[in-house]
Amino acid sequence: MVFSSLLFLFAYLPVTLALYYLIPNTRYRNWVLFIVSLLFYGWGEPLYILVMLASITEAYVFGFFIARHRDANPGRARLYLVLSLGMNLAALLFFKYANFFIENLRLIPFLTDVIAPVEGLKLPIGISFYTFQIMSYTIDLYRRQTDVQKNFVAFGTYVTLFPQLIAGPIVRYRDVDDQLMTRTETFDLFASGVRRFTVGLSKKVLLGDAAAACYEYFKASDAFADSTAGAWMVMIFYTLHIYYDFSGYSDMAIGLGRMIGFRFLENFDYPYIAESITEFWRRWHMSLGTWFKEYVYIPLGGNRAGKWKQYRNIAVVWLLTGFWHGANWNYILWGVYFGLILMAEKTFLLGVLKKLPAFVRHLYALLLIGFGWIIFSFTDASAGLSCFASLFGIGTGTFCTPTVGYQIVRALPLLIIGAVGATPLPKKLWDKFCTVDWTGIGAIRGNGIEEPIRMEKSALSVRGKIFAVLTTAGTLGLLTVCTAYLVDSTFSPFLYFIF
Amino acid sequence: MKNIINILTSALFAAFLLIFTAAFVLTPDADFSEEENRSLTTFPKFTWERLLDGSFSSDINEYFADQFPARDMLVGIKGVTETLLLKGENNGVLLGEGGQLAVRLFDAYKSRLERTPDMDYYYTENIAVSVDALNAFAQSSDVPVTTMFPPRTVDITSSVSDYPTEISDALDVQLAETIVPEAGYIADLRKRMEDLYSHGEYVYFRTDHHWTTYGAYHAYILLMHEWGMEDGILPPEAFTVEKIENFYGTTWSRAGYKFVGPDTLEIWSPGNEDDFTTTCYTEKQVKGEDGKPTVVREVSKSFSGWLNREYLTRKDKYAAFLDGTHNEQTVFHNTETGRPRLLIAKDSFANTMVPFLAQHFDLVIVNLAGRMTDLTEYVEEYGCDRVLIVWNRANLIENNILAAIK
Repeated sequence: MVFSSLLFLFAYLPVTLALYYLIPNTRYRNWVLFIVSLLFYGWGEPLYILVMLASITEAYVFGFFIARHRDANPGRARLYLVLSLGMNLAALLFFKYANFFIENLRLIPFLTDVIAPVEGLKLPIGISFYTFQIMSYTIDLYRRQTDVQKNFVAFGTYVTLFPQLIAGPIVRYRDVDDQLMTRTETFDLFASGVRRFTVGLSKKVLLGDAAAACYEYFKASDAFADSTAGAWMVMIFYTLHIYYDFSGYSDMAIGLGRMIGFRFLENFDYPYIAESITEFWRRWHMSLGTWFKEYVYIPLGGNRAGKWKQYRNIAVVWLLTGFWHGANWNYILWGVYFGLILMAEKTFLLGVLKKLPAFVRHLYALLLIGFGWIIFSFTDASAGLSCFASLFGIGTGTFCTPTVGYQIVRALPLLIIGAVGATPLPKKLWDKFCTVDWTGIGAIRGNGIEEPIRMEKSALSVRGKIFAVLTTAGTLGLLTVCTAYLVDSTFSPFLYFIF
Repeated sequence: MKNIINILTSALFAAFLLIFTAAFVLTPDADFSEEENRSLTTFPKFTWERLLDGSFSSDINEYFADQFPARDMLVGIKGVTETLLLKGENNGVLLGEGGQLAVRLFDAYKSRLERTPDMDYYYTENIAVSVDALNAFAQSSDVPVTTMFPPRTVDITSSVSDYPTEISDALDVQLAETIVPEAGYIADLRKRMEDLYSHGEYVYFRTDHHWTTYGAYHAYILLMHEWGMEDGILPPEAFTVEKIENFYGTTWSRAGYKFVGPDTLEIWSPGNEDDFTTTCYTEKQVKGEDGKPTVVREVSKSFSGWLNREYLTRKDKYAAFLDGTHNEQTVFHNTETGRPRLLIAKDSFANTMVPFLAQHFDLVIVNLAGRMTDLTEYVEEYGCDRVLIVWNRANLIENNILAAIK
């Protein structure tokens, strides 16, 4: 099930929230969450629910073993850690990558007839996300950074929690372990969740899907092969599409989490305002970056084991990051591409960039990000290459055909809104309104995670009241518009499902 | 009473979800949407198999969208929002000046397989096979053939829309160059309609994909010239015009631009309708005397004139002409005998031409869209003197039915 569907909004969500708040305490509320999350998952993947439950049970049981031995017998604990991680990774490797390896091995002549792809194997939704979540628990446990979770339902709830189950953010266990057993739901948190969810839904439905339609048009029509402008549009609209799709989904996840008392960490921090690729990756899909840093890069020695080892570590992390995104060569290439740029930036590029004007740095980063998305979006290498060549006018008949021109003009408002929306400007304006001291006591504060917007009725000035009413009305208005789009649309692909 | 606004937001959000959910559960499902002129998805059949292969889930999503409370209003909200975002189109329908709706050319590129080395054709396969069949039929036919490919709205509305004409133009070039003279292709039909339209003539509907009765009249004039019968052309004054208001056509249903007003459907009456009878036939399989199944043709409907006025009070008013879609019809004069016979192999664009053509011919009308493609057989059976093919460009591009004519 996806959040941006009528079924989720008008069947699943009301029932879930009603059940959740009808049940009195957190312990039983976890039961509700565990069960509804399994239903959420099972709706799209009725069979693979068993795979997920097996992974959960395995990590839960091994958690006890690791916790028991980690003080007295570290070697033993280590063995259990390796076993547990091994089983988790085996499931991921099998379901996500088996056929990729087999297909590629079959390219070796004498193996062609020896092995065959596993038939009927499709990727269980969200397996890349929940496997990483489970592994964070096992590893943190081994490192004594968290305690064993004795309550199976609480642990199951952590893994299956529907807001982040199928597309992240990848929540580390230690970031939520205390929230699993004790959390307080408040109107402040709930309302800030509603606003966050609405923003995310709007980003996905109004901007992400619209950008996707433009991208699909330019791509499917082969406009990129005909005209240089068409190729640029493919790149630009994919850049917008993937950001609004994915960050919108993260916003919805964070918002839904707040509605049920959870506080998740942020996943995006305006990645497209980065001035270097190093900075981009600190702002894009932060929970994944953190995961790889924490559980791969640093254990390998990070940057403290000498220069060459650091390069090796960067190479490993980016190979894996690329591969994590999909079982196809283009994703590996995409990872390698960023790994190389990051190494170059570490060696000398950042120094050079520092001396250049800011707009050059932005241009540099945006272009490299865009080129990266071309690698990412074309699983067919020759089409990707042709699109890339077209960017520079190689192989295109003309700069722009009338039909491509028409399409660009009509997509221009979307492009402008998308570009502005990807900067912190809207948030800054919002914060400015929020932090104006209308009340004399600074009662309306930022929308940060620890301080959901808060307004004291008694202290509200007239302007504060107007702003508060406008905010509420705007939220409902956006929800209505999004509903309208969902009612009248069948075009709502969700990208990150394939990971 | 702290943070009242957050309580309010929470409560309104809950109310928003609950009101729609409750309305969804409580309102009975509809089978048909008059406004959209299509059947709506009803609750899908549940089987474990369908759940496991995902078809149940996707049907449920459609069911939700189709049966959603206030669907028509929400569809309208989307149309307004898209307009505010300056997109210029919604659901693939262009919004031109004066509320002119036109389906854009999405599929054009898709059907382009390869570029030929010397000519940049945008359209290939369906058109190529259709033209081949048309050429072969025309060259082997014993009676003269005339061919009309009525343009789509988008082909003629460039004066009110910024949608480029390059794809429409390419189609013109391709057709003009590949159709043999024997097919009697009326190449300047699009240009004529475009000229008339750009001069403000009401030749195409704003909300429907068809031409208007007045547009059909101009097509009739072109035909009469083509046939060397220009002396017999009936002037507009020979007809009394009845205006039927509030016609919302198919394009309007698809567009979701609820703020676009209705069209006027004109009935041009020569005053002698009652001298004609329209007869509709259906084919039915029955067991013959020898036990083998044979196809029997029987009369399914017969009425005076060529209009079924019942449709004029419904949404689908265009169906008043010839009683909508029938696979085989004749429009014969009740008393005059020995009139020349015209076989019209057509889609619905021909329906509005009937009042004009019937003044000169007895008409045998077969529905190409219903795969009535054995034209030679009809020519022989009815003793037709001419064949007229009327096949609109959307059909020509989107399917290859015409490729089956013989």
